[in-house]
Amino acid sequence: MNSHDDLTNNTNDLLSLRLPKLRVERRAMLWWAMRSAIIGGLILGAVVTGYVLYEPAQVWLVVPLIVIGLTLIVKVLVEPVWRYSVHRWEIGQFASYATSGWLVREWRVSPMSRIQTVDAVRGPLEQLLGLATLRITTASSYGAVKIVGLDYTVAQEAASRLAVVAEVAEGDAT
Amino acid sequence: MSADISHGGVAEPNEDVDQWRGLSIRVVLVDFVKSLVTLSPAVIAVLVFDVEPKFNTMWPFLVFGAWGVLSAVADIIRWLFTRYRITETEVERRTGVIVRKHRSVRRDRIRSIDTHAKLRHRLAGLRIVTIGAGQQTNAGEAAFVLDSLARRDAELLRQELLRERASSPFDADLSYVPDGEACDLSDGAAQSHHVEVFARFRPHWVLYNMFSVWAYLSAAGLLWGAYWLASTFGVNLIVVSSRWVNWDQQGWVGITIIGLIGGGLFGALSMGVNFFLGYWNFELTRVHTETTSFLRTRRGLLSTREVSRDESRVRGLSISEPLLWRWITMTDTNLMTTGLSIWDWEQPSAILPRGPRGIALDVSARVLGDPSPLAVLLPRHPRAALRRRLWWATAVTGITIGLVAVPVATQTTPQWVLWLALALWPLALLLALVAYRALGHAIVGDYVVMRSGTMNRTTSALRRDSVSTIAIRQSVLQRRLDVCTVATMTSAGWSTYEAPDVAADEATVFASRAAPGLVEEFLVTRP
Repeated sequence: MNSHDDLTNNTNDLLSLRLPKLRVERRAMLWWAMRSAIIGGLILGAVVTGYVLYEPAQVWLVVPLIVIGLTLIVKVLVEPVWRYSVHRWEIGQFASYATSGWLVREWRVSPMSRIQTVDAVRGPLEQLLGLATLRITTASSYGAVKIVGLDYTVAQEAASRLAVVAEVAEGDAT
Repeated sequence: MSADISHGGVAEPNEDVDQWRGLSIRVVLVDFVKSLVTLSPAVIAVLVFDVEPKFNTMWPFLVFGAWGVLSAVADIIRWLFTRYRITETEVERRTGVIVRKHRSVRRDRIRSIDTHAKLRHRLAGLRIVTIGAGQQTNAGEAAFVLDSLARRDAELLRQELLRERASSPFDADLSYVPDGEACDLSDGAAQSHHVEVFARFRPHWVLYNMFSVWAYLSAAGLLWGAYWLASTFGVNLIVVSSRWVNWDQQGWVGITIIGLIGGGLFGALSMGVNFFLGYWNFELTRVHTETTSFLRTRRGLLSTREVSRDESRVRGLSISEPLLWRWITMTDTNLMTTGLSIWDWEQPSAILPRGPRGIALDVSARVLGDPSPLAVLLPRHPRAALRRRLWWATAVTGITIGLVAVPVATQTTPQWVLWLALALWPLALLLALVAYRALGHAIVGDYVVMRSGTMNRTTSALRRDSVSTIAIRQSVLQRRLDVCTVATMTSAGWSTYEAPDVAADEATVFASRAAPGLVEEFLVTRP
């Protein structure tokens, strides 16, 4: 029988996914912190403005204000370190594999044969830090593997390597 | 421009085999007559009932009138400049005056063909043909639409594109075909030896289609339409209705109750009528062609719709059962396929109208293979999944109480708001239990089966070879409870189908079996 049937014959609890081999750049921590600070700061600013300007709303905004403030602190100080310990990636022989997240952790595997596009994307903050996001899309609109916090040259190299593989794969990848 | 457009149009010098064909000129007439009909209430009101035309009641008709003239001009232009042709490998369409558009779709990429006709098109012998090929709907692009073709041309186009087997038109049993529809259905019925019928219209299905939230919306729409139409004749329906109901004495509670009951009944009735109009003559068949087979639905009393979906593009089937109507086993059946939009109002992916679960399972067995993967008894998820849901129910109640706590404490808000927030708790706990009982997953043959959903319990069977990405997710709480969510991504349907809260030990094995060969290279045997 083929491989997936063998798996059932084994006892279930023996198999698990190993971690991907490569870590992301340390600079990525700075990127996560900066991103959270900017977005969180804007939201906090908006709520504070509401609190100051519109007196009847004050009583409703006390709890949200505290919550938003605490969230901001956690997202700037804790999230980047946590994420750095989780985020890993690997381009295997038949599939690309990445782990991501912090409060919600995710293991994501996407096959080479279904790759539709490969991009190395750089937002303004990423450009500042010399980082790039490797985005590998498949025919499913949710199926993209996004590997953030890579060095720009590393991402670009991986992208061009994957693009060759995608050319080789047959069919329309749906 | 040549006059014999329907007989082939302009031939291109180098394309000796495949000729460019045009739309039917009757489309201009049809749309123009439609605008005239839209205007008729105003004309009747003014001429017959002697209503004095006033701007505040007549302005919608002015808008409709202007719109009618504009669209007639647009139709003439569209008719003049739109050409289509079928070559050995592609269908092509040219359209547009200022911006010339040329679109070609490779024939082997065609996933569905939708032939649609409103009553006015049927009276004029017209059909609107929409050709679906996956990429376009994913990119949010407009589909390949030919609006409108003469009925004969539309049928010819469909037959050529689907490479249907040639057959004489009247060699089959036509007894079930009502007279009015004989022409529409004859070709499908004629090939009965290539056609398997899976389901036909049953009048009692109307019961399943009368009750939903849409009933209120439909009632509101109809009542507003009636009020507005009456006001063009100078009649105020609220004044008229106060002959039976004294609106001033009711108070807002009374009016709400009357609205809920009356609106609900009226809405349910209109939904029932709507069902008969939309699904009369419904038929689900499998049509075999030279190379592949199609799942074809036909339906409609006044306006008709026929959709053929390439079965080689079918990735699975999902059924969903609304919680409040589970006692009559109300079920929606949707095909997971690439190239059909799930956001389409006409729901091209629905291969059955809302109906009893038994029919849905029968059809699923015939589409996916017997025994149906959707009918398999799914083992219950670990208790931890229930605990997670109970925690979330409690957390949601807690957050709500937290939000209203300060306003209630400072007496800006009456105290009953707090009690209302507290009353959320038992309800949330109950729904948590319902959500837990809905959970299930299994691997059945070529399919991965996943079930979840609180208000709408959805069971999905997805072809394992069509899973393109696998994601396993685990939140902090799930980590403590030792469960994971396994998500399978595909190009069809909702794109992602999830099995929430699978036991962590089992998740990896389930994932590797759901997508054979995908995760193997990253697997290790745990010490």
